[in-house]
Formats: sequence, C-alpha cells, structure tokens
Amino acid sequence: MRKLLKRPDVGVIFGCIFLFALFSIWNPRQWFDPSTISNISQYTAILGLLAIGQTFVILVREIDLSVGSVYGMVGITFAGLENSNVSVVVSFIVAMLFAVVIGLVNAIVVVRGKLSSMIVTLGGLFFYRGLIYVTTHGGVTGVPEAARSDWFAQLLGGHFLWAENGFLLLLLLGFICALLLYEMRFGNHLLSVGGDPDSAASQGIPVDRIKTIAFCLSSCFAGLSAIVTLANQPETSVSLGTGMELESIAAVVVGGTLLTGGKGTILGTILGAFFFTAVRAQMIALGAPPSWYVSFVGIALLVVVTINTILSKRLRSI
Amino acid sequence: MNANDSRQTESGTESKKPLISMKNVSLAYGNFRALTDVSVDFYQGELVGLVGDNGAGKTTLIRIISGIITPTAGEVYFDGQKVTKFHPKQAIDLGLECIQQSIGICDNLSVSRNYFLGREPVKRILGLPFLDKKKMRETSAKVVHDFGLRDTVDVEDEIALLSGGEKQTFKIARAVTFRNRVIIMDEPTNHLSVRERAHVNDLAVQLKEQGLLVIYITHDIFQIHRIADRIVIMENGRKVTDVPRAAMSAEALEGIIRDGGRMPAKKGAAA
Repeated sequence: MRKLLKRPDVGVIFGCIFLFALFSIWNPRQWFDPSTISNISQYTAILGLLAIGQTFVILVREIDLSVGSVYGMVGITFAGLENSNVSVVVSFIVAMLFAVVIGLVNAIVVVRGKLSSMIVTLGGLFFYRGLIYVTTHGGVTGVPEAARSDWFAQLLGGHFLWAENGFLLLLLLGFICALLLYEMRFGNHLLSVGGDPDSAASQGIPVDRIKTIAFCLSSCFAGLSAIVTLANQPETSVSLGTGMELESIAAVVVGGTLLTGGKGTILGTILGAFFFTAVRAQMIALGAPPSWYVSFVGIALLVVVTINTILSKRLRSI
Repeated sequence: MNANDSRQTESGTESKKPLISMKNVSLAYGNFRALTDVSVDFYQGELVGLVGDNGAGKTTLIRIISGIITPTAGEVYFDGQKVTKFHPKQAIDLGLECIQQSIGICDNLSVSRNYFLGREPVKRILGLPFLDKKKMRETSAKVVHDFGLRDTVDVEDEIALLSGGEKQTFKIARAVTFRNRVIIMDEPTNHLSVRERAHVNDLAVQLKEQGLLVIYITHDIFQIHRIADRIVIMENGRKVTDVPRAAMSAEALEGIIRDGGRMPAKKGAAA
C-alpha cells in the first residue's frame, strides 16, 4: 500500500476507478453499450499512443508541441500512398520513416542548437501543418476501403473479439514501454537525464543521444497513432490532429508525469488518456455541447495537478 | 572500515612517474586568461590540496583534467599518454571521477539506481537485457553501509532523502568501488556539519592510502593542511605555490593566499 501511494500516478489510478464506478452507476446502459466501449477504446488508443511518445519527451525535461501536426502529416502521407495504390505495409514503413526523420530534425535542432524544445516544436507545429496544406491543396481523401480491408490495416484498425485492435496495440506497446522505462538500462538513463542532466553526464550518460531517442519515439508514436486512426475510419481532412498536442500533454500530466521531468509512468499516461476520453464520451452522451469538453480538459488538468501536488508533498514523509 | 577490503589496493607501488602531468597549460576566453602557463604533476597515492581564492583557476584546472574543456595551449598527460581529445567520457574511461557538491546524483532516482547509473548490471530474460535489480539492491546496500551510511537508509528509497553529508559519502563510495584511479573532490565539505566534514575528510585520507590520487579543492587552508601531502596554491590563473605539507605551516600558506588577493592590481606579477 505504501508503494502504491508513493507512485506518481496514484491520483489518476484512483481518479479512473472513481470515474468508472460513477459512470457504471449513473448511466450503466449507455456506459456498457458495445458502441460506447468501441468508441472509448479506439479514442483512448489514439490519444494514448500519442501521449506515450509525449511521456518520453516530458520525462527528459523537454516538450513536443509538434505531435498534433506530425500526426496529421504522417497520417496524410499514409493515406496519400494508399490512394496511389502502394501496398499497405510499404506505405506504413515509408510513413513511419518519415516520422523518424521528423523526430530526428526536432531533436537535432533542440540538442545541437541548444534551443528550447517549446520553441522548436512550436515551429514544427506550424511547419508541418502548413506542409499539409501546401502538399494537399486543402483536399485529402481517406484510406480507401480496399486498403482498409488489407490484413495489415486490419491488424491496426480492425477488432479482435470485443476489443479494437488499436486498443490492444496500446496495451501491448504500453507494456513494452513500461519495461523499457523501469526494467532496462535505457530507462534508467532516460530518467537520470530528466532528473538532472549534468549529473547524468558526469556518470557518462550520453544526454544528447537519450534526448534524440525520446524525440524520435514521440514522432513515431504520433505517426503510429495517425495510421491506427486512418486504418479504422474512412474519411479525413487537412485538420487531422489539430489540437492533439495539447490533449496529449494533458493526458501525460494528469497521468502523474512531472513537467519538470524524471518522474512518471506509462500506466498513468494511458489512464490519463482514458480519463479524458471517457469523460468526453459521457458528455456527448448526456447531450452537453461538444465545446464544453475543452473547458472540462482545462478544469480537470488544474484539479488533478493540484491534487497530485498535494498528495506528493503529504506522501513524501510516509 | 570495510572499504579497504572491497577493492584491490595498489599502495606501496607509488612510482616516480606522475599519473597526471600538465605542461604549460593555458586557457583563454578571448582576452580573458583563465589559466596562464600552469605546469603541475599529480602522483598516484597522493592527496593534493588545491587551494586558492575564488576565480584563481582551480575549477578551470579541474575542468580540463575532467575533459570538460580543452586548453588553448599546453599539454596534458595521463599515465604517460598525451591527451589528444578532451571529452568527459574519456576521463571517465580513464578512471577519473570528479565529486562536486551539486553534481553527481539524480534526486529522482533511488540510491541503488544512482549507484549503478551508467554501469547497470543486466540479466538476460528471453534474450533481452533486463536490469538485475537484485544485484543492484544488494551490492549498493553493502557498499553504502560499509561507507558508514545509516542502517535505516533503504537503497530503494529516493536518494533525495539522504542528508548532504550522506550524499557526499555516497558519491565517494561509488567513485571508489568502480575502481577509479583519480578522485577529484571539489569543495566536498561545503554546507556539511562538523561530524560529516570529519567523515568526508577521513574518507579522502583512506582513498589516498588505498593508492588513489586524490585532488582536494577547498578554500579552507587549515582543514586541508591537516590531511594533504602536498599543497598547490593557485592565484589569478597561475600556480604560485607547490610545496609538501611539511615544508610550510598553514599560517604561512594562508599568508600567501591573502597576499595573492592583491595581485590583480599589479599586472602579471603573480609569477
């Protein structure tokens, strides 16, 4: 119990349990409806994948504001290749390589240029969004039906029994990332860079390389998330992913990861994504105007971060 | 102290060849000369006190030895080999560790994770390298307790819970058990209590007795005079004094530092 209370994600764990119980009692028919489960699990997967990538960047004391545009850019690249009759696997590989390159560019400018990642990735946010407009002339087509029924697209966008494949992918990758972060050397190095970069460097940790990997992971997860989205839905638009960067940061922060770096969990991030997704679904079901959701994200962020801060101060002494 | 058993000592093999040798080293930032023509040798199994006022060039000297900055002129030899590329990683590989007050441990990690940072032991599960947490826990617990940390310190706890003196002791313990050859202590006893200070100074002497080269940077000439074999005084980017402890009293050395403080007024008179 002492161990559980000391986790940085204790707030969101209890928050999600509370939310789940609340919705189960309040509106059980709607909450346990298969279409609700499908919607929530699919969107949790999309936001969760983005947020896992963001977690790595935030853990090294940086931030990636470009993920929403990268999500759009990689998604539209994937869709564009599909419409040119390129095979799904090849399109996937090309789109993901593009994501890696974007991550590398972000990282090189931040690390080599010694610039604030907030500025650099804000530039990326505008640049890649602009690139979408320029390359598509404002009109994009989603992934065609034929390509979506391809086995590989089905693997990412289909479902298995009751669950969306995207959600299973989130759980699988989340598990792998958690192992990477807490059970392997890379994780220890990454956390040390986030905790105190100078001290990490004094012990021979390649700080710049670790940050570069974090930015690449962030872009890759953004790209993967976009492909999971498009493998599942028929239409898309040039605004694909707009605002997702802030949602992903909100999910990470609500999940207990400190913006100051060095502390956080993958489980917390996934639960953070679930938290926002579940609330949004319920608000829509209850007929609240969709725009309220945005205000809710703001309030939830403040409340959860306040609770987390108070908890961590209190629990330090246990 | 069990630390004596935990590493192979090389005492008694002190050679005449210096372990670190700096020849006519200068460092200039534009017109500002941080170091001017400094030549100094450091030997294995020696505790050298590096003393001087603020801005005297002590830290600059150490940053060159640690590979953080490259001198603009002069040569540095490590164990007879000329250092051609100055890089922190290389200094670490050569077995040099600089212990500083504010750097060296990550407060967000546990004691055991800090202990093995950068050298984590792994065990293979299904061919994948996972951290050997059991080994990390047991080894780090043994070492930190051998070095005199409280028995109540749990190596799984965040290192932020340790006191200042315990953190310094931890850094020294880590530096020693990873078989380093050179330990540089940069103001290791600042902000420490009297008892903690004595403990850190005792450790410095023990490291030297085990055959390590210990370079101890401080402002406190009286403190270092008690434990050092040799005292090097820096002033205004130059080496002004380099004497065995027995050759001069602490008071005389303090006089040199005090007089040196007026040097900047007279241009280049320090040499």
